[in-house]
Amino acid sequence: MTETLSAPTSTHPSAPWWKTLLAWLLWLWITVVLVGAFTYAPPAKGFVNLYSSRILFFHVPMAWVSFVAFISAGVWSLLFLTRGRRQRHDLAAAVAVELGLIFCILATLTGSVWSRIEWGAFWNWDPRQTSIVLAMVFYAAYLVLRSAIEDDQARARLSASYALLGLVVAPFLYFVLPRISFSLHPAPVVNQSGQVDMESRMLQVLLGGAVGFTALFFWLHDTALRLRLLAARNDDRR
Amino acid sequence: MSSWLAEASAIFAKDWRAEARNLYALNTLGLFAVTTLVLVSVGLGPMGVTAAGAQVLPFLLWIVLLFATSAGLPRAFVQEEETHTATALRLAARPSAVFWGKLAFSLSLTWALEALVAPLFLAMVQLSVKSPGLFVVGLVAGGFGLAAASTVIAAIIAQTRAGSTLFAVLSFPILIPLLLLVVELTRNAVDGATADVVLRQLLLYDGSVAVAGAMLFPAIWNP
Repeated sequence: MTETLSAPTSTHPSAPWWKTLLAWLLWLWITVVLVGAFTYAPPAKGFVNLYSSRILFFHVPMAWVSFVAFISAGVWSLLFLTRGRRQRHDLAAAVAVELGLIFCILATLTGSVWSRIEWGAFWNWDPRQTSIVLAMVFYAAYLVLRSAIEDDQARARLSASYALLGLVVAPFLYFVLPRISFSLHPAPVVNQSGQVDMESRMLQVLLGGAVGFTALFFWLHDTALRLRLLAARNDDRR
Repeated sequence: MSSWLAEASAIFAKDWRAEARNLYALNTLGLFAVTTLVLVSVGLGPMGVTAAGAQVLPFLLWIVLLFATSAGLPRAFVQEEETHTATALRLAARPSAVFWGKLAFSLSLTWALEALVAPLFLAMVQLSVKSPGLFVVGLVAGGFGLAAASTVIAAIIAQTRAGSTLFAVLSFPILIPLLLLVVELTRNAVDGATADVVLRQLLLYDGSVAVAGAMLFPAIWNP
Protein backbone atom coordinates (compact mmCIF):
# COMPACT_ATOMS: atom_id res chain seq x y z
CA MET A 1 0.00 0.00 0.00
CA THR A 2 2.72 2.39 0.98
CA GLU A 3 4.52 1.51 -2.23
CA THR A 4 1.63 2.62 -4.39
CA LEU A 5 1.25 5.87 -2.46
CA SER A 6 4.89 6.89 -2.46
CA ALA A 7 6.06 8.74 -5.55
CA PRO A 8 7.96 6.31 -7.80
CA THR A 9 11.39 7.80 -8.37
CA SER A 10 11.61 6.60 -11.95
CA THR A 11 8.66 8.73 -13.13
CA HIS A 12 8.97 11.67 -10.72
CA PRO A 13 12.70 12.19 -10.39
CA SER A 14 13.64 14.86 -7.89
CA ALA A 15 16.61 17.07 -8.69
CA PRO A 16 19.99 15.71 -7.55
CA TRP A 17 21.64 17.54 -4.62
CA TRP A 18 24.20 19.35 -6.78
CA LYS A 19 21.43 20.87 -8.91
CA THR A 20 19.73 22.21 -5.79
CA LEU A 21 23.06 23.64 -4.63
CA LEU A 22 23.64 25.26 -8.04
CA ALA A 23 20.13 26.77 -7.97
CA TRP A 24 20.86 28.41 -4.59
CA LEU A 25 24.24 29.65 -5.84
CA LEU A 26 22.46 31.10 -8.87
CA TRP A 27 19.99 32.90 -6.60
CA LEU A 28 22.90 34.34 -4.59
CA TRP A 29 24.78 35.35 -7.76
CA ILE A 30 21.76 37.16 -9.29
CA THR A 31 21.12 38.93 -5.98
CA VAL A 32 24.73 40.18 -5.90
CA VAL A 33 24.39 41.37 -9.53
CA LEU A 34 21.14 43.22 -8.70
CA VAL A 35 22.67 44.94 -5.70
CA GLY A 36 25.89 45.66 -7.63
CA ALA A 37 23.99 47.22 -10.54
CA PHE A 38 22.44 49.83 -8.22
CA THR A 39 25.19 50.42 -5.67
CA TYR A 40 28.62 49.22 -6.86
CA ALA A 41 28.72 50.30 -10.54
CA PRO A 42 29.12 54.08 -11.08
CA PRO A 43 26.64 55.99 -13.29
CA ALA A 44 27.81 56.45 -16.91
CA LYS A 45 29.25 59.80 -17.97
CA GLY A 46 28.00 61.46 -21.16
CA PHE A 47 24.42 60.16 -20.94
CA VAL A 48 21.40 62.49 -20.88
CA ASN A 49 20.36 60.81 -17.65
CA LEU A 50 23.45 59.48 -15.85
CA TYR A 51 21.50 56.78 -14.02
CA SER A 52 19.82 55.42 -17.17
CA SER A 53 22.97 53.35 -17.77
CA ARG A 54 21.92 51.01 -14.94
CA ILE A 55 19.32 49.42 -17.23
CA LEU A 56 22.24 48.22 -19.34
CA PHE A 57 23.15 45.64 -16.67
CA PHE A 58 19.84 43.91 -17.40
CA HIS A 59 19.26 44.81 -21.05
CA VAL A 60 22.57 43.49 -22.42
CA PRO A 61 22.43 40.09 -20.61
CA MET A 62 18.80 39.60 -21.74
CA ALA A 63 19.70 40.33 -25.37
CA TRP A 64 22.66 37.97 -24.99
CA VAL A 65 20.46 35.21 -23.54
CA SER A 66 17.95 35.54 -26.39
CA PHE A 67 20.90 34.94 -28.73
CA VAL A 68 22.07 31.93 -26.67
CA ALA A 69 18.51 30.54 -26.75
CA PHE A 70 18.40 30.88 -30.54
CA ILE A 71 21.71 29.03 -31.00
CA SER A 72 20.81 26.30 -28.49
CA ALA A 73 17.42 25.75 -30.17
CA GLY A 74 19.36 25.22 -33.42
CA VAL A 75 21.79 22.80 -31.77
CA TRP A 76 18.98 20.75 -30.18
CA SER A 77 17.12 20.70 -33.50
CA LEU A 78 20.26 19.41 -35.22
CA LEU A 79 20.69 16.78 -32.50
CA PHE A 80 17.06 15.74 -32.98
CA LEU A 81 17.48 15.22 -36.72
CA THR A 82 20.88 13.51 -36.53
CA ARG A 83 20.83 11.53 -33.24
CA GLY A 84 17.95 9.11 -33.47
CA ARG A 85 15.07 11.63 -33.30
CA ARG A 86 14.66 11.62 -29.53
CA GLN A 87 11.71 13.44 -28.00
CA ARG A 88 14.03 15.00 -25.41
CA HIS A 89 15.94 16.96 -28.07
CA ASP A 90 12.74 18.18 -29.74
CA LEU A 91 11.23 19.40 -26.46
CA ALA A 92 14.58 20.98 -25.49
CA ALA A 93 14.53 23.03 -28.72
CA ALA A 94 10.89 24.07 -28.15
CA VAL A 95 11.55 25.13 -24.54
CA ALA A 96 14.64 27.10 -25.66
CA VAL A 97 12.51 29.01 -28.19
CA GLU A 98 9.78 29.73 -25.63
CA LEU A 99 12.32 31.06 -23.11
CA GLY A 100 14.20 32.90 -25.89
CA LEU A 101 10.98 34.68 -26.83
CA ILE A 102 10.47 35.84 -23.21
CA PHE A 103 14.07 37.13 -22.97
CA CYS A 104 13.68 38.77 -26.40
CA ILE A 105 10.57 40.65 -25.22
CA LEU A 106 12.34 41.69 -21.98
CA ALA A 107 15.42 42.90 -23.91
CA THR A 108 13.16 44.89 -26.26
CA LEU A 109 11.21 46.49 -23.40
CA THR A 110 14.32 47.45 -21.40
CA GLY A 111 15.97 48.76 -24.60
CA SER A 112 12.88 50.83 -25.43
CA VAL A 113 12.78 52.41 -21.98
CA TRP A 114 16.46 53.35 -22.29
CA SER A 115 15.91 54.60 -25.86
CA ARG A 116 13.06 56.86 -24.67
CA ILE A 117 15.34 58.42 -22.05
CA GLU A 118 18.45 58.83 -24.19
CA TRP A 119 17.18 59.15 -27.79
CA GLY A 120 13.77 60.68 -27.05
CA ALA A 121 11.66 57.93 -28.64
CA PHE A 122 10.68 54.39 -27.69
CA TRP A 123 11.31 53.15 -31.21
CA ASN A 124 13.34 54.38 -34.20
CA TRP A 125 14.21 51.23 -36.26
CA ASP A 126 17.82 51.16 -35.19
CA PRO A 127 19.49 48.05 -36.79
CA ARG A 128 19.57 46.30 -33.43
CA GLN A 129 15.90 47.05 -32.83
CA THR A 130 15.11 45.71 -36.30
CA SER A 131 17.10 42.52 -35.74
CA ILE A 132 15.48 41.81 -32.37
CA VAL A 133 12.01 42.28 -33.90
CA LEU A 134 12.91 39.84 -36.66
CA ALA A 135 14.18 37.36 -34.06
CA MET A 136 10.84 37.72 -32.25
CA VAL A 137 8.91 37.15 -35.49
CA PHE A 138 10.99 34.04 -36.14
CA TYR A 139 10.43 32.65 -32.62
CA ALA A 140 6.70 33.33 -32.93
CA ALA A 141 6.56 31.66 -36.37
CA TYR A 142 8.31 28.58 -34.94
CA LEU A 143 5.73 28.33 -32.14
CA VAL A 144 2.83 28.86 -34.58
CA LEU A 145 4.23 26.03 -36.70
CA ARG A 146 4.36 23.72 -33.66
CA SER A 147 0.78 24.55 -32.74
CA ALA A 148 -0.41 23.75 -36.27
CA ILE A 149 0.75 20.10 -36.24
CA GLU A 150 -0.97 17.45 -34.11
CA ASP A 151 1.25 14.44 -34.71
CA ASP A 152 4.23 14.49 -32.29
CA GLN A 153 6.76 13.04 -34.71
CA ALA A 154 5.74 15.30 -37.62
CA ARG A 155 5.77 18.34 -35.32
CA ALA A 156 9.27 17.55 -34.10
CA ARG A 157 10.67 16.80 -37.56
CA LEU A 158 9.17 19.86 -39.29
CA SER A 159 9.89 22.37 -36.55
CA ALA A 160 13.50 21.16 -36.23
CA SER A 161 13.94 21.67 -39.99
CA TYR A 162 12.43 25.14 -39.78
CA ALA A 163 14.67 26.13 -36.84
CA LEU A 164 17.76 25.06 -38.77
CA LEU A 165 16.66 26.98 -41.87
CA GLY A 166 16.27 30.06 -39.67
CA LEU A 167 19.72 29.53 -38.24
CA VAL A 168 21.23 29.43 -41.76
CA VAL A 169 19.50 32.67 -42.78
CA ALA A 170 20.05 34.69 -39.56
CA PRO A 171 23.72 35.68 -40.15
CA PHE A 172 22.71 37.62 -43.27
CA LEU A 173 20.82 40.12 -41.14
CA TYR A 174 24.04 40.80 -39.27
CA PHE A 175 25.71 41.92 -42.52
CA VAL A 176 22.77 43.68 -44.13
CA LEU A 177 21.12 45.74 -41.41
CA PRO A 178 24.08 47.89 -40.29
CA ARG A 179 24.68 48.88 -43.92
CA ILE A 180 21.17 50.01 -44.78
CA SER A 181 20.58 52.16 -41.71
CA PHE A 182 22.72 54.26 -39.41
CA SER A 183 22.94 53.03 -35.83
CA LEU A 184 22.83 55.16 -32.70
CA HIS A 185 23.21 52.06 -30.56
CA PRO A 186 26.24 52.17 -28.22
CA ALA A 187 29.15 49.98 -29.38
CA PRO A 188 29.12 46.40 -28.15
CA VAL A 189 31.10 45.66 -25.00
CA VAL A 190 33.96 44.37 -27.12
CA ASN A 191 34.15 46.86 -29.99
CA GLN A 192 35.51 46.47 -33.52
CA SER A 193 39.08 47.21 -32.51
CA GLY A 194 38.88 44.27 -30.10
CA GLN A 195 39.28 46.56 -27.09
CA VAL A 196 37.07 46.51 -24.02
CA ASP A 197 36.04 50.13 -23.62
CA MET A 198 34.25 50.32 -20.25
CA GLU A 199 34.89 51.35 -16.68
CA SER A 200 36.08 48.26 -14.79
CA ARG A 201 33.37 48.20 -12.06
CA MET A 202 30.65 48.54 -14.73
CA LEU A 203 32.28 45.77 -16.72
CA GLN A 204 32.41 43.48 -13.68
CA VAL A 205 28.67 43.92 -13.02
CA LEU A 206 27.82 43.56 -16.71
CA LEU A 207 29.81 40.35 -17.14
CA GLY A 208 28.44 39.08 -13.81
CA GLY A 209 24.95 39.78 -15.15
CA ALA A 210 25.69 37.99 -18.44
CA VAL A 211 26.97 34.89 -16.63
CA GLY A 212 24.07 34.99 -14.14
CA PHE A 213 21.34 35.39 -16.73
CA THR A 214 22.87 32.69 -18.96
CA ALA A 215 22.88 30.32 -15.97
CA LEU A 216 19.30 31.41 -15.19
CA PHE A 217 18.30 30.52 -18.76
CA PHE A 218 19.80 27.04 -18.49
CA TRP A 219 18.25 26.48 -15.05
CA LEU A 220 14.80 27.56 -16.33
CA HIS A 221 15.39 25.40 -19.40
CA ASP A 222 16.25 22.32 -17.33
CA THR A 223 13.22 22.79 -15.08
CA ALA A 224 10.79 23.43 -17.94
CA LEU A 225 12.19 20.51 -19.93
CA ARG A 226 11.77 18.07 -17.03
CA LEU A 227 8.18 19.25 -16.59
CA ARG A 228 7.52 18.87 -20.30
CA LEU A 229 9.00 15.36 -20.37
CA LEU A 230 6.87 14.31 -17.39
CA ALA A 231 3.76 15.73 -19.08
CA ALA A 232 4.62 13.87 -22.29
CA ARG A 233 5.12 10.61 -20.35
CA ASN A 234 1.79 11.16 -18.62
CA ASP A 235 0.06 11.65 -21.99
CA ASP A 236 1.57 8.43 -23.32
CA ARG A 237 0.14 6.47 -20.39
CA ARG A 238 -3.43 7.56 -21.04
CA MET B 1 23.21 10.23 -61.57
CA SER B 2 21.32 9.91 -64.80
CA SER B 3 18.39 8.21 -63.07
CA TRP B 4 18.41 11.05 -60.49
CA LEU B 5 18.28 13.60 -63.29
CA ALA B 6 15.49 11.65 -64.97
CA GLU B 7 13.47 11.64 -61.73
CA ALA B 8 13.97 15.36 -61.13
CA SER B 9 13.10 16.33 -64.69
CA ALA B 10 10.07 13.98 -64.64
CA ILE B 11 8.76 15.87 -61.59
CA PHE B 12 9.44 19.20 -63.28
CA ALA B 13 7.62 18.01 -66.44
CA LYS B 14 4.72 16.54 -64.41
CA ASP B 15 4.19 19.83 -62.58
CA TRP B 16 4.13 21.80 -65.81
CA ARG B 17 1.77 19.26 -67.43
CA ALA B 18 -0.59 19.57 -64.46
CA GLU B 19 -0.23 23.34 -64.62
CA ALA B 20 -1.02 23.40 -68.36
CA ARG B 21 -4.39 21.70 -67.68
CA ASN B 22 -5.86 24.59 -65.70
CA LEU B 23 -3.10 27.26 -65.53
CA TYR B 24 -4.08 27.76 -61.89
CA ALA B 25 -0.69 28.92 -60.53
CA LEU B 26 0.14 31.06 -63.57
CA ASN B 27 -3.26 32.78 -63.46
CA THR B 28 -3.09 33.33 -59.70
CA LEU B 29 0.44 34.72 -59.77
CA GLY B 30 -0.07 36.85 -62.88
CA LEU B 31 -3.44 38.31 -61.92
CA PHE B 32 -2.36 39.00 -58.35
CA ALA B 33 0.76 40.81 -59.58
CA VAL B 34 -1.00 42.81 -62.30
CA THR B 35 -3.81 43.89 -59.93
CA THR B 36 -1.29 45.10 -57.36
CA LEU B 37 0.73 46.83 -60.09
CA VAL B 38 -2.32 48.71 -61.30
CA LEU B 39 -3.10 49.72 -57.72
CA VAL B 40 0.46 51.02 -57.17
CA SER B 41 0.48 52.82 -60.49
CA VAL B 42 -2.92 54.48 -59.98
CA GLY B 43 -2.04 55.44 -56.42
CA LEU B 44 1.41 56.86 -57.09
CA GLY B 45 1.24 58.01 -60.72
CA PRO B 46 4.50 58.42 -62.69
CA MET B 47 6.61 58.40 -59.53
CA GLY B 48 9.70 57.16 -61.41
CA VAL B 49 10.45 60.68 -62.67
CA THR B 50 10.69 62.07 -59.13
CA ALA B 51 13.77 61.86 -56.87
CA ALA B 52 11.96 59.73 -54.29
CA GLY B 53 11.03 57.20 -56.99
CA ALA B 54 14.46 55.55 -57.10
CA GLN B 55 14.25 54.91 -53.35
CA VAL B 56 10.64 53.77 -53.01
CA LEU B 57 9.82 51.96 -56.25
CA PRO B 58 12.40 49.10 -56.08
CA PHE B 59 10.93 48.26 -52.68
CA LEU B 60 7.37 48.25 -54.07
CA LEU B 61 8.42 46.06 -57.01
CA TRP B 62 9.75 43.39 -54.65
CA ILE B 63 6.74 43.63 -52.37
CA VAL B 64 4.52 42.94 -55.39
CA LEU B 65 6.71 39.98 -56.40
CA LEU B 66 6.85 38.62 -52.84
CA PHE B 67 3.09 38.64 -52.34
CA ALA B 68 2.38 37.28 -55.82
CA THR B 69 4.76 34.34 -55.32
CA SER B 70 3.45 33.64 -51.82
CA ALA B 71 -0.03 33.37 -53.33
CA GLY B 72 1.02 30.77 -55.92
CA LEU B 73 4.20 28.89 -54.96
CA PRO B 74 2.89 27.00 -51.87
CA ARG B 75 0.62 25.02 -54.20
CA ALA B 76 3.64 23.02 -55.41
CA PHE B 77 3.33 20.84 -52.30
CA VAL B 78 -0.12 21.68 -50.89
CA GLN B 79 -1.74 20.24 -54.01
CA GLU B 80 0.19 16.96 -53.63
CA GLU B 81 -1.14 16.54 -50.08
CA GLU B 82 -4.70 17.64 -50.94
CA THR B 83 -5.02 15.24 -53.88
CA HIS B 84 -3.26 12.49 -51.89
CA THR B 85 -0.55 12.10 -54.53
CA ALA B 86 2.31 12.86 -52.10
CA THR B 87 2.65 9.20 -51.09
CA ALA B 88 2.94 8.12 -54.73
CA LEU B 89 5.55 10.82 -55.24
CA ARG B 90 7.51 9.56 -52.22
CA LEU B 91 7.55 6.08 -53.75
CA ALA B 92 8.36 7.26 -57.26
CA ALA B 93 11.37 9.48 -56.63
CA ARG B 94 14.10 10.03 -54.07
CA PRO B 95 13.73 13.16 -51.87
CA SER B 96 16.56 15.14 -53.46
CA ALA B 97 15.04 14.63 -56.93
CA VAL B 98 11.65 15.81 -55.61
CA PHE B 99 13.29 18.91 -54.08
CA TRP B 100 15.22 19.95 -57.19
CA GLY B 101 12.32 19.07 -59.52
CA LYS B 102 9.89 21.17 -57.48
CA LEU B 103 12.47 23.96 -57.14
CA ALA B 104 12.94 24.02 -60.93
CA PHE B 105 9.16 24.33 -61.36
CA SER B 106 8.86 27.14 -58.80
CA LEU B 107 11.88 28.86 -60.31
CA SER B 108 10.50 28.78 -63.85
CA LEU B 109 7.20 30.12 -62.54
CA THR B 110 8.92 32.94 -60.62
CA TRP B 111 11.12 33.94 -63.55
CA ALA B 112 8.08 33.92 -65.87
CA LEU B 113 6.27 36.17 -63.40
CA GLU B 114 9.25 38.54 -63.22
CA ALA B 115 9.49 38.68 -67.00
CA LEU B 116 5.85 39.80 -67.07
CA VAL B 117 5.81 42.10 -64.06
CA ALA B 118 9.16 43.95 -64.18
CA PRO B 119 8.77 45.60 -67.64
CA LEU B 120 5.11 46.47 -66.89
CA PHE B 121 6.10 47.99 -63.55
CA LEU B 122 8.92 50.09 -65.05
CA ALA B 123 6.60 51.35 -67.79
CA MET B 124 3.65 52.12 -65.51
CA VAL B 125 5.58 54.13 -62.93
CA GLN B 126 8.01 55.53 -65.56
CA LEU B 127 11.11 54.39 -63.76
CA SER B 128 14.30 54.36 -65.83
CA VAL B 129 17.07 51.94 -64.89
CA LYS B 130 20.65 53.12 -65.37
CA SER B 131 22.20 49.63 -65.15
CA PRO B 132 19.73 47.25 -66.88
CA GLY B 133 22.23 44.36 -66.67
CA LEU B 134 22.45 44.61 -62.89
CA PHE B 135 18.65 44.99 -62.69
CA VAL B 136 18.18 41.69 -64.58
CA VAL B 137 20.84 39.97 -62.43
CA GLY B 138 18.90 41.14 -59.36
CA LEU B 139 15.66 39.68 -60.75
CA VAL B 140 17.34 36.36 -61.59
CA ALA B 141 19.19 35.99 -58.27
CA GLY B 142 16.30 37.37 -56.18
CA GLY B 143 13.87 35.05 -58.00
CA PHE B 144 16.10 32.07 -57.23
CA GLY B 145 16.18 32.95 -53.51
CA LEU B 146 12.38 33.40 -53.45
CA ALA B 147 11.81 30.07 -55.20
CA ALA B 148 14.35 28.13 -53.07
CA ALA B 149 13.05 29.37 -49.70
CA SER B 150 9.42 29.00 -50.85
CA THR B 151 10.00 25.38 -51.92
CA VAL B 152 11.32 24.40 -48.47
CA ILE B 153 8.59 26.27 -46.59
CA ALA B 154 5.87 24.91 -48.92
CA ALA B 155 7.03 21.35 -48.16
CA ILE B 156 6.73 22.11 -44.43
CA ILE B 157 3.32 23.81 -44.46
CA ALA B 158 1.76 21.19 -46.77
CA GLN B 159 1.96 18.73 -43.86
CA THR B 160 0.23 21.01 -41.33
CA ARG B 161 -3.44 21.59 -40.57
CA ALA B 162 -3.37 25.25 -41.57
CA GLY B 163 -1.91 24.63 -45.06
CA SER B 164 -1.19 27.63 -47.23
CA THR B 165 -2.40 30.21 -44.68
CA LEU B 166 0.70 29.37 -42.66
CA PHE B 167 2.99 30.07 -45.61
CA ALA B 168 3.25 33.84 -45.08
CA VAL B 169 3.89 33.43 -41.35
CA LEU B 170 6.75 30.97 -41.86
CA SER B 171 8.30 32.34 -45.03
CA PHE B 172 8.60 36.04 -44.18
CA PRO B 173 11.20 35.68 -41.40
CA ILE B 174 13.27 33.55 -43.80
CA LEU B 175 12.75 35.89 -46.77
CA ILE B 176 13.37 39.24 -45.04
CA PRO B 177 17.20 39.14 -45.44
CA LEU B 178 16.74 38.25 -49.13
CA LEU B 179 14.34 41.14 -49.66
CA LEU B 180 16.61 43.65 -47.93
CA LEU B 181 19.53 42.53 -50.10
CA VAL B 182 17.67 42.44 -53.40
CA VAL B 183 15.97 45.80 -52.81
CA GLU B 184 19.39 47.35 -52.15
CA LEU B 185 20.73 45.75 -55.35
CA THR B 186 17.76 47.00 -57.39
CA ARG B 187 18.19 50.52 -55.99
CA ASN B 188 21.84 50.45 -57.04
CA ALA B 189 20.80 49.25 -60.52
CA VAL B 190 18.30 52.12 -60.82
CA ASP B 191 20.93 54.66 -59.68
CA GLY B 192 23.68 53.16 -61.87
CA ALA B 193 25.89 52.44 -58.83
CA THR B 194 28.04 49.33 -58.43
CA ALA B 195 26.81 46.57 -56.16
CA ASP B 196 29.60 44.00 -55.92
CA VAL B 197 29.30 43.38 -52.17
CA VAL B 198 25.48 43.18 -52.21
CA LEU B 199 25.55 40.85 -55.20
CA ARG B 200 28.06 38.54 -53.52
CA GLN B 201 25.92 38.43 -50.36
CA LEU B 202 22.78 37.81 -52.42
CA LEU B 203 24.43 34.89 -54.22
CA LEU B 204 25.68 33.59 -50.87
CA TYR B 205 22.10 33.73 -49.52
CA ASP B 206 20.81 31.86 -52.59
CA GLY B 207 23.50 29.21 -52.23
CA SER B 208 23.01 28.82 -48.46
CA VAL B 209 19.22 28.46 -48.69
CA ALA B 210 19.41 26.02 -51.61
CA VAL B 211 22.06 23.85 -49.91
CA ALA B 212 20.32 23.97 -46.49
CA GLY B 213 17.00 23.21 -48.21
CA ALA B 214 18.49 20.23 -50.06
CA MET B 215 20.04 18.89 -46.84
CA LEU B 216 16.90 19.37 -44.73
CA PHE B 217 14.46 18.19 -47.38
CA PRO B 218 14.72 14.41 -46.72
CA ALA B 219 13.81 15.08 -43.05
CA ILE B 220 10.89 17.31 -44.10
CA TRP B 221 9.61 15.06 -46.86
CA ASN B 222 9.86 11.55 -45.35
CA PRO B 223 7.44 10.92 -42.47
